[in-house]
Amino acid sequence: MDRSMFVSISYFLTHLGLIFFMYPTDIIASTDEAYWIPITLGIIIHFIFLSIYMKGLSYFPRKNIIMIYLSHGKIIAWIFLLPVAIYLIMIIIITIRSYSEIITIVFLSNTPLWAIMFLLVLVATYLSSRGLDSILRSSLLLAILFLPLTLFVCFVSFQNVDWRYIFPLTTNDFRFITKPSYLMSYFSIGGVFLFIGFIQPLFTYKPKKILYTVLLLVPFWIISVYIPILTFGNSTVPHFYFPFVEAVDSIDINWLMFDRVTVFFLLSLITFIILFLSLILWMFMQIITTCIPKFRPNYLLILISFISFVCCLFIPDWKDVEDLFLINSPFRFFCLLIVPPSLLILGIRSKRKEKLENG
Amino acid sequence: MKIWLEEIKTVFKECDDFFLQHDYLYNQPVILFGLSTLIDIPQTKKLIEINLNMPKYSLQEVIDHHLVKVAREQNNIIDAILEGKIILYIPDFEKYMIMEVISKSLNRSIELPTNENVIQDALDSFIEDIDTNIGIIRKHFRTKFLITKVISTGIEQEKKIALLGLEAHVNQNLMRKIETQLKEKHDQEIHNAQSLVKTLGFSAWDIVPKYKSTEIPTEVIASLKKGKVVLIIDDFPFALIFPNFLWDMFTTENERNLPIPLMLFIRVLRVIGVIVATLMPGLYVALVSVNPEVLQLELGLSIAQSREGVPYPALVEVLMMLVILELILEASVRLPKSIGPTLTMVGGIILGQAIISAKLVSNLLTIVVAGTTIANATVVGIQNHLMLRLLKYVIVILAAIYGVLGIIVGTVLICAYFASINVYGISYLDYQVSKDESNNG
Repeated sequence: MDRSMFVSISYFLTHLGLIFFMYPTDIIASTDEAYWIPITLGIIIHFIFLSIYMKGLSYFPRKNIIMIYLSHGKIIAWIFLLPVAIYLIMIIIITIRSYSEIITIVFLSNTPLWAIMFLLVLVATYLSSRGLDSILRSSLLLAILFLPLTLFVCFVSFQNVDWRYIFPLTTNDFRFITKPSYLMSYFSIGGVFLFIGFIQPLFTYKPKKILYTVLLLVPFWIISVYIPILTFGNSTVPHFYFPFVEAVDSIDINWLMFDRVTVFFLLSLITFIILFLSLILWMFMQIITTCIPKFRPNYLLILISFISFVCCLFIPDWKDVEDLFLINSPFRFFCLLIVPPSLLILGIRSKRKEKLENG
Repeated sequence: MKIWLEEIKTVFKECDDFFLQHDYLYNQPVILFGLSTLIDIPQTKKLIEINLNMPKYSLQEVIDHHLVKVAREQNNIIDAILEGKIILYIPDFEKYMIMEVISKSLNRSIELPTNENVIQDALDSFIEDIDTNIGIIRKHFRTKFLITKVISTGIEQEKKIALLGLEAHVNQNLMRKIETQLKEKHDQEIHNAQSLVKTLGFSAWDIVPKYKSTEIPTEVIASLKKGKVVLIIDDFPFALIFPNFLWDMFTTENERNLPIPLMLFIRVLRVIGVIVATLMPGLYVALVSVNPEVLQLELGLSIAQSREGVPYPALVEVLMMLVILELILEASVRLPKSIGPTLTMVGGIILGQAIISAKLVSNLLTIVVAGTTIANATVVGIQNHLMLRLLKYVIVILAAIYGVLGIIVGTVLICAYFASINVYGISYLDYQVSKDESNNG
C-alpha cells in the first residue's frame, strides 16, 4: 500500500513540533550573526543524509532497517541497532521531560510536572499501541485540525518584525560548528528521519515525496530562528529560553477573542510532539520486539512507557535536561551520519553479490 | 410418512394457532395444516382449488410433474409452516406439498422515514419485511448488476440476512469476508445489531459504529455505487451499510440535489457542529477554571462576573447541566408524543430561567450547554449523535484536570481512536472504499 501522503504528513508535523521550541534557542546560542549559515548547513546535512538513507533503503525492497541489519549477521545488527535503540529511548525520555517543562513554563504553572508527563506518556503509549497505520492516519486528522492554526500563527508572527535586524548577513566566524549548543540543534534536524526506515514492510512510500516535504520544511527552520531575531534584535534574543514562543507572545490581535495566541500555537505543536513520541516509541518497540519476541508487545510497551516515566521523574531540572541533550548528541550523530551510509554500503555490497551470483 | 404428521403435531402441540383441516381435492381426501395467525385460510383454500384444478390431469400427474413443491424432509415442513406457508398432505400418496398462501397482512405499508429527515428526495423508507426492502431497492435502482445473496443464520430463530453489493463497484474482499463470516457462524442467533457485530467478529464495545444504518433507500443506493456492502436483515426496518466512515457523519445523499456551494455550506456547518459539540463544554471548563489568562481581559472579567455566586467548581457545574440535558433528551424519546411538549416546556423554564436566578449555574454555561446540544443535533445519524454526546465527557474531564492542554490531548486521543477503527482493513478515516486489486471486473 502506498502511504506516501501519510508518511509525508507525519514527517512534516513531527518536524514542526521539534523545530519551534529548542531549535531557535540552540542556533541563537551558537552564533551572534549570520544565523542562516548554521541553519543552511543543518538543512543541507539533513537533505543529503536523508537521500543517502533512502537510497540505501531502496536496495532492500520490503525490508525495514532491523531486517536489513539482521540479514548481515548478528554482530552488525548489534553494532548498529544498539546505539539506535539507546538514542530512541533517550529521545523519548528527554522529549517527555523537556516538553512537560515547557508546558509548565508557558501555561500550566500550577499543575505538577509529573501529571503532565503522565498525560504525555499515556497518550503516546496509547497511540503507539495502535500501530503504525493508526499513527499515520491520526497524523492526517491532526494536520487537518491543527495545521491551519499553526500556519496562521506563523503568518501573523511577522507582525512586529523589523527587517533591519536581518544584518549582518555574512560572517567569518565559523566556530559555531564545535559549540555544544549547535550540536544540540541537530535534535530538530536529525530527530525523526530514522522512521522512514521502519515503514517498509508494512507500507510503501515514494522517496521523492519525502524530499519535497523536506523542502516544504525549510521555511519553518528559517522562520523559527529569524522571527525572534527580527522582532527583538540579536542582543536581546539570547536571553530568552524559548525565543520563538516569546516572539509569538508579543503578537497582539484585537479581533481575536483570545489574548494569548501562543497557547493555541503551542498546543498544536504539543499534539505534533505527541505524534513524534508515539512514532519513536513505536520504532523502539519494533527493535525491542525483535530482540525479545517472547513477550506480548503491548505489555512490553506499557513496561517501557512506565520505565521512561520513572526516568523522567528522576530528572530534577532543566540543566540536567540540557546535559542529557549533550550526552545524547553522539548517538544522534551516529544515527544521522553513520546509519545512512552504512545502509548504502550494505546495499551496494549485496547488489554486487547478487550480480556475482547471477553470473 | 404417517409418523411425520404425528411428529409435526407434537412440535406444534403448544401452539393453539396451529390448525389441521380435512378436505377433498380431486375427490381425494387431503389434510391442510399451518398457522392460522399467518394465513388467511378461506382465501388460501380458494387459491389452492383454482391452482390445482386442472381437469386435464389427475392429481397424481400434477404432483409428479412438480407443479407443486413437494417436501422431502420433516424439517422443511416445520420451516415452511413458520414462514407462513400452508402444507397440503395427501394421505393416499403420502406426499406433503408446500403451498404458497394468501397471508394475513402483517406488514405495515411503506411510509415516510421516521428516524431520519429527507429534504427534496424520495420519501419512502424501509419496513420490517426483507423482501419488500430489497424490492424497494430494486425499484429505485433498476440494474442487472445488483448482487443479492441471502444467508440464513440462527438455530432457534432463523433469520434471513441479505447481502447486497454492486458488481464491478463492490469491494470484493469486504463482501467475501462478511459472507464467509456469516456462513461460518450460521448457528449464531442474530436478534439485534449488537449480535450481528459480534457475529461479524468485531468488538461490541467500540463506540464508533462499524456500519452506517439508514432507512432511506436512496442512501443505500448511493453507498452501493460507492462500492460499499449493504446488509438487510429480516425484521430490521433499516439497512446496515459497511463500512462506516468518519466523513459519513457530515454527508447525506439528498443534499446532492442542491447546488454544490449550498451542499458544501451545509457540510461545513455540520463540521462546525461536531467540533462545537465536542469541544465547547470542555473549553468552558478549561477557560473558567484552569486557563483564564488565555482570554482577553474584558471577556475573562465578564465570564467571572457571570459566575459570581455559583457555589461549586466549573466541572461540577458543567457536569450537572450536561446530565440534566441528557436526561431531558432521553425523556423526550421515552414519553408519548402527547406529553412530550410539556416536558420540553418544563425543562426550558427550569434550565432557562430558574436555575440561573437561583444562582446554581452561570448564564454563560446555559448558553454553552444549549449551543452544545443544538450543535450536536446537526450531525447525520443517531449513532453518531450518541457517540459525540459520549465523547464530549472525555474532553470535559481532561479539561478539568489539564485545562486547554487537556482539550487538545483529548482531541488527539479521539483522533487516535478514530484512526485505529477499521472494518476488515478498511479504515474509518478512509474517504472511499477502494475496489479490491484482484477484482478488475
